Amino acid sequence: MSLYIFYISNFLLLLCLTASLMQSSKIINNKIFTRPSVIVLAYVQLISILSSFLILIYLFLISDFNFDLVYFNSHSEKPLIYKFSGVWGNHEGSMLLWILILVLFNFLFALSRRTSERFKEITVAIQSIMIFGFVAFLFFLSNPFTLNQNNFFDGIGLNPILQDPLLAIHPPVLYVGYVGFSLVFSQAITGLITKEVDQQWASIVKPWVFSAWAFLTAGIALGSFWAYYELGWGGYWFWDPVENASLMPWIAATALIHCVLILQKRNVMQSWTVILAILTFSLSLVGTFLVRSGILNSVHTFASDPGRGLFILLFIFLILAFSFSLFAFNSEKINKTSSMGLISRGTGIQVNNWLLITILTIVFLGTMYPLATDLLLNKSLTVGPKYYSTTIAPIIILFLFFMFISPRLGWTDTKLYKIIIQLRYLIITSLTITLIISLYFELFNLTEILIIFFSLLLIISSMTASINFNKQNILVRTNLGQNLAHAGFGILMMAVVSNAVYSEERIYNAKVGDNLQLKKYIFSFDKIEQIEESNYNSLKAYFQMKKDGKLVDTFTPEIRFYSNPPTITSEASILHKFFSDIYLVMNVPQDQQSISVRMHIKPFMTILWLGTLMIIIGGIISASIRIGRFDEK
Amino acid sequence: MTSLVKSRLIKFLLSLIIVLIAVLIIIFNLRDNIIYFYGPTELLKNPDKQGQIMRLGGLVSVDSVQNETDSIFYFSITDGDNEIEVKYEGILPNLFAEDKGVVVEGVYMNDGRFIANKVLAKHDENYMPPEVMETLKKSGKWQGE
Repeated sequence: MSLYIFYISNFLLLLCLTASLMQSSKIINNKIFTRPSVIVLAYVQLISILSSFLILIYLFLISDFNFDLVYFNSHSEKPLIYKFSGVWGNHEGSMLLWILILVLFNFLFALSRRTSERFKEITVAIQSIMIFGFVAFLFFLSNPFTLNQNNFFDGIGLNPILQDPLLAIHPPVLYVGYVGFSLVFSQAITGLITKEVDQQWASIVKPWVFSAWAFLTAGIALGSFWAYYELGWGGYWFWDPVENASLMPWIAATALIHCVLILQKRNVMQSWTVILAILTFSLSLVGTFLVRSGILNSVHTFASDPGRGLFILLFIFLILAFSFSLFAFNSEKINKTSSMGLISRGTGIQVNNWLLITILTIVFLGTMYPLATDLLLNKSLTVGPKYYSTTIAPIIILFLFFMFISPRLGWTDTKLYKIIIQLRYLIITSLTITLIISLYFELFNLTEILIIFFSLLLIISSMTASINFNKQNILVRTNLGQNLAHAGFGILMMAVVSNAVYSEERIYNAKVGDNLQLKKYIFSFDKIEQIEESNYNSLKAYFQMKKDGKLVDTFTPEIRFYSNPPTITSEASILHKFFSDIYLVMNVPQDQQSISVRMHIKPFMTILWLGTLMIIIGGIISASIRIGRFDEK
Repeated sequence: MTSLVKSRLIKFLLSLIIVLIAVLIIIFNLRDNIIYFYGPTELLKNPDKQGQIMRLGGLVSVDSVQNETDSIFYFSITDGDNEIEVKYEGILPNLFAEDKGVVVEGVYMNDGRFIANKVLAKHDENYMPPEVMETLKKSGKWQGE
């Protein structure tokens, strides 16, 4: 049985290779290869990859340990959902998922009716070249369907830290984001080939680039949310290389979506938009594969599996070399000069583009510097999180200012003082609130105060712009997606700053019966229990939280001992309130009498997630509105 | 000058200034926030590193873990050749154990002791921090593949 599956699945991969090769040949405009048509081939690509993906899911669900991948990454006693998510909890399976999404985007674009036939043909051909490359990589260098000769009775298991419902959906969402930019990349290259990067191009690209961006945002948010409650450190972002790898394409993509909008409205910045499209996709590749192949975690893992790492580096290099040489030849032909006023919305967006690229550079240097010193100087080092926060904070102030002022400016030259006068009430309101906040909470750090002030300006102006009924003022007509996302970003920034300033932490060694205090809350340690679950044993502590003598809530932090593979995890117990989270984690007891328990008060966490959610919804709205009402003056 | 040229010139100068300032800030900040990693032998050879924030990694020496009070711990980190005594106040991670790999972050004091403010441990008990692996290879005590 396993042998048949082995043949069928490998045949399916080869079928997709062939179809992709035929699809790629359509990049040359000839009359010989008109059949099979683009759509038929797209169907073949989709069905072959989808079936092999379903087969892999099936193998995991029935726990067929004759397959290496299942043996190394699954275990028969694992709950069903984690057998399922175990499919992409490893390198080979996640590659197959990545390719599936690549093929899916290819398919959806092949079906779309809003483009010319030739544009579609070339885009799909370029997309198929990539599909070909990755399927070949999968087939030869990381084949998920390899058999072993031993009759293993059971599998090794999935890392318990990955056994979490959120982490089951995090990779697919993130991948839809990453891979979505592959289509935007193909469209940019097609634009370079046909020399048509213009307003029409922008309106073709817009829904794709916005949905990819919304998915990427959601993917990063899910990962961060998971880290917050699963890792048990009380933080949501650690400036870890793996996190940075997902943030870098997001920053480039954020610049890109704004450029696509300007291009659609004003037909300017053609070259820059194309460069950003190439950059975003390259960073997405770095994001997916360098994390998966372990290069970012450590240079040494790279050496242990040079084939995979080299292929990815080679692929990124080829993409960059090809796209930039094409760009060098054709960029002059896509640029059409049309002017924008100096003090205009376009300039504001351009300035923020520069600021985004600066932030990208900061993150890139911080992430790559340790890699470079390790490779070149054989010296291990880490870049502390303070580097990121202190360097990025001042830029965020400027960034928030331009985010606030730009939508208020017209496309042609606008008088700045007129705008300021128009917005005087807004500015006064924000200033007052900031003053109250900083006096009440004794906040005297200039950077923090400025971030809060400009965030407030941005939040209030975005929100009022959405509900403005003033018919005379054309400039602030409703633009829901944009305003929601911008307000969300302001809320996010305010929450991030306040959270960093007002977080509190206490560590106790507690015995049953102890009363522990954290600010105005008293926690009484009631009991500790041992619980046996199907795939782990756990130690669960019960704390009753009282405020002014009244019971508010019961906390149950937990330590889980998994056996396949043997691992220990701490499960935090969190009370979400609107203005702050209360967060309890316990660790393995040092002796028999007491346990160590760490308590955090994390202010504004709910608001932080809310801001992020607003950004995501804003992105989805912008993706689904075909002609953005990016108001004209 | 036509207004187009003028506006381009201003934009160009503006972006140049922004880039320059940004690059300077980045470089200075990066230099201030680098945390180097050392193994015990390496650290003993370089007494001039005393007083700096750094990471130290190796294996937790067998029978070296002691706790003074509930939350103050003493233990030694070894690479097989040399060891350094570490003082740490806080909660030890779940996977902290004798004869297992560990990385601590803190200050190397003048008296040769290491005051750690963070103990980093990963969640997989078979995981060996790559730096620790390298340290053990350097001292010839590495027994893995």
